[in-house]
Amino acid sequence: MRTPRALRPLAESLATVALGLVAGGVLVWAFGHSPLAAYRALAVGAFGTREDLLETLAFATPLMLTALTFAVGVRAGLFNIGAEGQMYLGAVGATFVAGMVPMPAGVHLAAATVAGMLAGAVWALTPAVLKAWRGAHEVISTIMCNWIALHLSMYLAIHFLAEPGRAERTVPALPTARYPVLSEESTLTAVLFVAVGFALVVYAYLWGTRAGYELRLAGENPEAARYAGVRPERVVVLSFVLGGLAAGLAGASQVIGRPPAWSLYATLGNVVTLGFDGIGVALVGRNHPVGGILAALLFGALAQGGRLMEYEVGVLSELVRALNGIIVFAMAVPELWGMLRRRLAR
Amino acid sequence: MGEGTPRVQMRGIHKVYPDGTAALKGVDFDLYPGEVVALLGENGAGKTTLMKVLSGLLRPTRGDVLVDGRPVHFRNPVDALRRGIGMVHQVFTLVPPFTALQNVLLGQEGAGLLRPLPEEQARARVQRLLEETGLEVPLDVPVESLPVGVQQRVEICKTLYRGTSVLILDEPTSALAPVEVDDFFSFLRRLRDRGTSIVLITHKLREVLEVTDRVVVLRQGSVAGELPTASATPERLAELMVGPLSTLRVARAPRSPGQPVLAVQGLRVRDDQGRLAVQDLSFEVREGEVFGVAGVEGNGQSELVQALTGLRRPEAGEIWLSGQRVPSLDPLSLYRRGLAHVPEDKARFGLALGFDLVENSILGRQREPKFLGWLGRLRRPVILRYAEELVRRFRVVAPDLATPVRSLSGGNQQRLLVGREISKEPRLVVAMHPTRGLDVASTLYIRELLVQMRDAGKAVLLVSADLDEVLELSDRIAVMYGGRFLGLGPAEEFRRETVGLLMGGVVPEGVHADAARPPSPR
Amino acid sequence: MRWKAVVTWTFALGAVALGARFLERVGLPPVSLLETGLLAMTPLALAAVGECLNQKAGLVNIGLEAIFMVTATVGVWFAEVGRSGTVGLLAGAATGALLGLGFGAVSVYGKADQIIAGMGLNVFALGFVPFLLISLWAFPGIHVFPNELMVPRIRTPLGQVSPVTLAAVVVALAAHLLLHRTVLGFRIRAVGEKPEAVDVAGLRVDRLRLLTATVGGALAGLGGAFLPLGWFGALVKEISAGRGFIALACVVFAGLEPLLALGAALLFGLADGFASAVAVTPGVKERVPFYFVSMIPYVVTLAVVAAVIGRRRFPSTVGRPYARE
Repeated sequence: MRTPRALRPLAESLATVALGLVAGGVLVWAFGHSPLAAYRALAVGAFGTREDLLETLAFATPLMLTALTFAVGVRAGLFNIGAEGQMYLGAVGATFVAGMVPMPAGVHLAAATVAGMLAGAVWALTPAVLKAWRGAHEVISTIMCNWIALHLSMYLAIHFLAEPGRAERTVPALPTARYPVLSEESTLTAVLFVAVGFALVVYAYLWGTRAGYELRLAGENPEAARYAGVRPERVVVLSFVLGGLAAGLAGASQVIGRPPAWSLYATLGNVVTLGFDGIGVALVGRNHPVGGILAALLFGALAQGGRLMEYEVGVLSELVRALNGIIVFAMAVPELWGMLRRRLAR
Repeated sequence: MGEGTPRVQMRGIHKVYPDGTAALKGVDFDLYPGEVVALLGENGAGKTTLMKVLSGLLRPTRGDVLVDGRPVHFRNPVDALRRGIGMVHQVFTLVPPFTALQNVLLGQEGAGLLRPLPEEQARARVQRLLEETGLEVPLDVPVESLPVGVQQRVEICKTLYRGTSVLILDEPTSALAPVEVDDFFSFLRRLRDRGTSIVLITHKLREVLEVTDRVVVLRQGSVAGELPTASATPERLAELMVGPLSTLRVARAPRSPGQPVLAVQGLRVRDDQGRLAVQDLSFEVREGEVFGVAGVEGNGQSELVQALTGLRRPEAGEIWLSGQRVPSLDPLSLYRRGLAHVPEDKARFGLALGFDLVENSILGRQREPKFLGWLGRLRRPVILRYAEELVRRFRVVAPDLATPVRSLSGGNQQRLLVGREISKEPRLVVAMHPTRGLDVASTLYIRELLVQMRDAGKAVLLVSADLDEVLELSDRIAVMYGGRFLGLGPAEEFRRETVGLLMGGVVPEGVHADAARPPSPR
Repeated sequence: MRWKAVVTWTFALGAVALGARFLERVGLPPVSLLETGLLAMTPLALAAVGECLNQKAGLVNIGLEAIFMVTATVGVWFAEVGRSGTVGLLAGAATGALLGLGFGAVSVYGKADQIIAGMGLNVFALGFVPFLLISLWAFPGIHVFPNELMVPRIRTPLGQVSPVTLAAVVVALAAHLLLHRTVLGFRIRAVGEKPEAVDVAGLRVDRLRLLTATVGGALAGLGGAFLPLGWFGALVKEISAGRGFIALACVVFAGLEPLLALGAALLFGLADGFASAVAVTPGVKERVPFYFVSMIPYVVTLAVVAAVIGRRRFPSTVGRPYARE
């Protein structure tokens, strides 16, 4: 069976996801549960009712953004795995403006959103500068920044933003800084549109402007980029800033865009690991903003379905993350699809 | 001269690559004990390919190899080494931070895995080998800090240590200074006298005449001729190498060239290893002429072109483009001043294979105002129309504009690239190996384009290892050898065999080396 | 090389001595600081030395964090089953070896992008370990196991030292000797610098790399199992807390030299120990917010990475799959 060239990436992504599901099934079975029951619950939980579908979308929202962080990095030839930290600070920034800085209704929401995005972008500057001017490998610097951000954000959440009397959460976002809820039955808000919109804006930027073109060229062929007069330092900083904006928005979306808490947990529980989850989403989405949106829907479904799976079958929803990791691991092999086909053809 | 039964016999060797190129078309080759044989030919003649077959790196598509009368089928170089056949390549496989002694020992340490490296015992054996062969190698210096000529000796020592009776050397003197070459030749002679068979792959005529016993000339995958060195002359060899004298030339209207567009004075450029690749070059290229630089690859051409196109900083010298001094390392400002660059490896430098035709059509041009709108926006309609025009005008064959350039044939890729550069309406076109590896139709077409540029009053600098190409297209010719121009003058003054001689480093009577008028910058 | 090691060690020990004086004045007992520092050093040193071997051979495994997390959990379970901390440590090492082997195989034969593969391991662990914790123990957030299962410590004048710590020092020494004094180490170093030379010499590039990947994984696995069994005495989800990446920083800082990596691990371990000490010491903990103290190890790592990178020599093929022409 020959796949037409244009569909090959889609086929590869789907094949890898299928592989991940099979591997996950094996894990589930190894620990004494029924894979079929688990996956059935997964599917039902994700798509069974209208509320479930909306929740899936709510889970997808931050994922498409953290995927963007990683994807924009890869497009520039970098590994930006700092979405976690950039996202935490985005959440903090948005919480601050949304919860503690009263503003007129029309402006407040936008200001809080922008604050979150900028906080993320600023946090991304450290690894960016270290890479551009010292050549420091961004894997270690972004991870260190993630952990520093974790503690810094927890500190800020507890000592400056905490709701008086409730130590486990920050002040909630003021009503003027909350995204309108799209339906009473779920936690989905209009922030989804902002997320999708941002992804599309990044798409338009990367494919429609000179700077975006140069960024992608640097990632595709650094020597041709030199030939075309592209300066590598600019590309590095631009890529990290875009990634930071996306991650910051992701963090903000979990505070000003997610009822019923409208606030940040002191343990950062409503934002942790979304950054790392984004890596798998980006890879399945072929490091493309639009692909990331679609892949986010898939992974959002897994996250939402995982909750029912946990409730009904007793398989912890974290298994979904393990699945994510297997998918990433499988996608690391460049010719996986080709290799498997050759094996099967024998 | 070797005598007795041949040590190696190669019969009817064919080598065809998966993409269809036939590198060897039925070559017979014998090797006797105690002789030095030169394997002579131009780029692409097949000499390295033939020896890669013998040394086990490649398998022939057809043909037989016999060693000491018995057929052999080498699966890899280690097999060949076990039968005593070893090859020293142009690119070394030395571990840079290891010493020479360590490099020689790798794989042949002579001790168990968890035992210490038996350097001292091995040292005695290696030193005996060095004494017997007269090879001088400092054994305890990290190889990376050795000059290239010495590194080569380490490579040779590595091979000899494994007990080779057949030693193949690929362009061995390309890394050596003239003084070192003489020492190297005495070493070869001593080795031969001990009974080793030596194959010297080379394009340098002087060396062939000086140190070899027999010459085999390859041309385009076949044996063009074979003769004992004693009865060989440079002219005869050059003729065998490049083919019979021919006057095959594209009809070009004579033109009177105009002002110099490119002027170079005293240019010196170092390569990545720190060696001086371009030595005090001075020349100019004028409006309405094609200045062709012929020569075998590896004589400084890449570094020269990189210096001229803003991709490598020269060590010394000055470059003027359209009368203005050129800043180094800034391709974009050069493009703005009218430079078009067709790079030597299109896939590596001039195209982004994963991008489609449209995006490749603006590679290098992405900052031109006509393609940009507000906020750095790329004006898609304008770019699309321009790309369509390119494809149409330069007859690029592709399913559609959104095809990734990787899927295009080499010829079409190059048409796109050359078309892009030409449509910049440049004042100077620098083209390096523009038709290498292309199909016949694309080759002819691109050569036509270059002549059209010249007729339109542009200056064209053509650097190519394809002798025919240079002879056909150029108004003035220079031959690059060892970082200098040996011979520079109007094309009419250069006969084919003359160029062949110059490419081999031999300056015949009546040709002036470095005969360039000092350029006058304005 | 020896000169650099001497300088680094003198500097580290000197800093320790000066720091001890300072700490006494401030009210933090230096001996307990050293104790904690050595404990913190142990997993870092084991993983870093293993990864030194790996990177010398040209592979990069950034999944050390994942190995820590998985082997910590598996180690505790085996310790309970086998009723012995040592069994747990061995199980951890075996699990780590398996993970390392898997990574090595995918990198060498699958020609995988090693950074992505390593991240895959990390994300997998982030999900699999909580799943394991619930499946094995119906985990409420922390799992404390009986004290007898912990690996006992030896009383020394410097405080209570774990035998695993001593083992880590021995391992570092052994790795150094292996790399610089044996034929195997010689070949490993060759394959990281120029696999073509190794291939041409008739040696198996893939086997050498699989070996280092497995050994590296085993050492990291030992370090991971040590975290609960030799130090914390309990198992929490985030028991590793980025230590796998700090180990990577040790490797980078040490220029892939095992003895220097040991020194770097000591340095970072002391930072870690200092942070813990500050967090619990009466006079100090009110004045310095806990969160900032927690950041210390990461800030130190970041600073070291920023300062040192670019002056370190790496085998030129680190991270790139080898394919014969």
